Amino acid sequence: MTTTDAAANVLRREWRKRREIVTPEAVPLTVELAEFSERAIALLIDLVILFVAIFVLLFMLAFLTVKGLSGVVFVGVLMLVLFFSRVVYFIHFELTARGATPGKRAVGIRVVDRRGGPLQASAVIARNLTREIEIFLPLSMLISAGGGGPGVHWGYLLLLGWMICFLALMFFNRDRMRAGDLIAGTMVIALPRQRLLGDLVEARARFVFADDQLEAYGKRELQVLEDLLRRPNDRETQVLLRDVADRICRKIAWPQPLPPADTVPFLRDFYTAQRAFLEREQLFGRPRADKFEAAAKRD
Amino acid sequence: MSIESEIASEVAGLQPGQRPAITLKSAEFRRTREQGWADLEKLIGITQGKGVRALSPDELERMPQLYRATLSSLSVARAIALDRNLLLYLESLSLRAYLALYSPRIGIIEAGRQFLRAFPAAVISARWHVLIAFLSLALGIVAGFWLTIGDESWFTTFVPGWLSGGRGVASTRASLLNGEIFAPWPGFAVSLGIVSNYLFSHNTLVGILSFSLGLFAGVPTVLLLAYQGLTLGAFLALHYNRDLTVDFLGWLSIHGVTELTAIVLFGAGGLVLAEKMLFPDRYSRVDSLALHGRRAAEIAVGAVMMLFVAGILEGEFRQLVASTPWRFVIAAASAVGWLCYLILLRPREPAL
Repeated sequence: MTTTDAAANVLRREWRKRREIVTPEAVPLTVELAEFSERAIALLIDLVILFVAIFVLLFMLAFLTVKGLSGVVFVGVLMLVLFFSRVVYFIHFELTARGATPGKRAVGIRVVDRRGGPLQASAVIARNLTREIEIFLPLSMLISAGGGGPGVHWGYLLLLGWMICFLALMFFNRDRMRAGDLIAGTMVIALPRQRLLGDLVEARARFVFADDQLEAYGKRELQVLEDLLRRPNDRETQVLLRDVADRICRKIAWPQPLPPADTVPFLRDFYTAQRAFLEREQLFGRPRADKFEAAAKRD
Repeated sequence: MSIESEIASEVAGLQPGQRPAITLKSAEFRRTREQGWADLEKLIGITQGKGVRALSPDELERMPQLYRATLSSLSVARAIALDRNLLLYLESLSLRAYLALYSPRIGIIEAGRQFLRAFPAAVISARWHVLIAFLSLALGIVAGFWLTIGDESWFTTFVPGWLSGGRGVASTRASLLNGEIFAPWPGFAVSLGIVSNYLFSHNTLVGILSFSLGLFAGVPTVLLLAYQGLTLGAFLALHYNRDLTVDFLGWLSIHGVTELTAIVLFGAGGLVLAEKMLFPDRYSRVDSLALHGRRAAEIAVGAVMMLFVAGILEGEFRQLVASTPWRFVIAAASAVGWLCYLILLRPREPAL
């Protein structure tokens, strides 16, 4: 790993897995997969909301029909209410314009079509009803099974194994799909939150660089320098900037020594000149991905 | 001085020799397009916060235009700009606009209607799978019936204790008739509980098992269906030997027509999955599953719906209607109803 790579790792913290989808306009877009933890938290939030809503509902129901409800029947009615509220809740929220349940919105994740097409209503229905099969129906059966015959223990194990298998499926495919995503052709992504920052280009340059000095670096080094220049200006950044400026001076054989006060202006001017040079070269069909390619092009 | 910078200085109206102001194409490009991006971002913010209805007609018209302009900006920027923040921002903005524009914007009612139209079409498209599933079940029934009719000890082999509910080799004609076939109606709330327990217990488990096990090449699906048939055949033989065949068939068919159709459909859905996994055609197996899985899931969801209807028929109507001829009438009516919905009167136009 080069120093540039190490710097990029520190500056960018790219820990999410990326996938590419192609929009109906045939433009490829990079999406970032949601983490397991995010999805678990989103589900938890949704379940808490549902639980509270159902609790209120049942509280009212209990007042209406106090008499004549035995335990088994009550559990039965409870399962029925739970089933319908779950189905309606998840499908309703994922179908409306905001396209995510409150839990997903709180965490900042979304369901998308895996290939980039429009998200179909049938896909939303399919992936949410499959969740019933994966988790909730076995869970309901575990709860409502109650006291049964001798076969019940094996039944418990079977149901538990069932849920664990479906859960494990998520961890064993590269798009982190659960069975519902697999069937519906969807995946869950993290919502992008990139802000547009100011352009770093300096209109009037104090430091002027010759073309052969600018040939030393490529696109990757330029963009790491950009990330560094966009960092908040604290002591650590200043040390880093000075270090980078020294390295650049050595590499391009900058004639006079650079006073500490000039570090940032020098780097910004260098960034501007370097970007102008690389963008021009790219337009003329001579892109330079990194300093190794740049060196190869120079020879 | 290189040719390009000479051109640049001429465009900027400078004398040769004077130090040129640096003009980057990417910076110019950004300056001219920036306003459109900001506008799009604002509109997305409104739709995310208050929903699409909060947009004025003008804004509504502008949003797709701005989206396409941003996509084009992204493509241009990828070709000419090396500003990483700009590229990431444009990609992120395009994705947010894509999500806002291409999400399904229909209510749950409309989605339900679409589903009701799609379900029969999915069943018809899987007619061969339905046939295979039906044959598996029928084979099981015939085998179970023939085996049990001669030797009732097969009944205990086929029917697990928790399913038989006290019925078995020792049952007499009277106990079956009063305890099962014409048992009294326990009242609305209790019977609703029975419906629900029924829905979330045996049949749904069998249904979703035979559907999901389709992922294992469909063999377990066929076996499970045949086993269901065996159980049913054993029950039938038990009642046949006690001269209760007609009453039992009435007791069974009032909901059984719907229930067995649902179970066959679950199996058919599983077999669709199996086929698309085994023979993915020119797609990868995962893509093939995604492509056809939705149809299979539609069948399974429809089958859950049918099970629910069967649950109501079993929990309420079967107990209320204590007469075998009327039970047959209801059974026939449900059969005709499903036949009309699924085959004869199904919507011809595919749902949009």
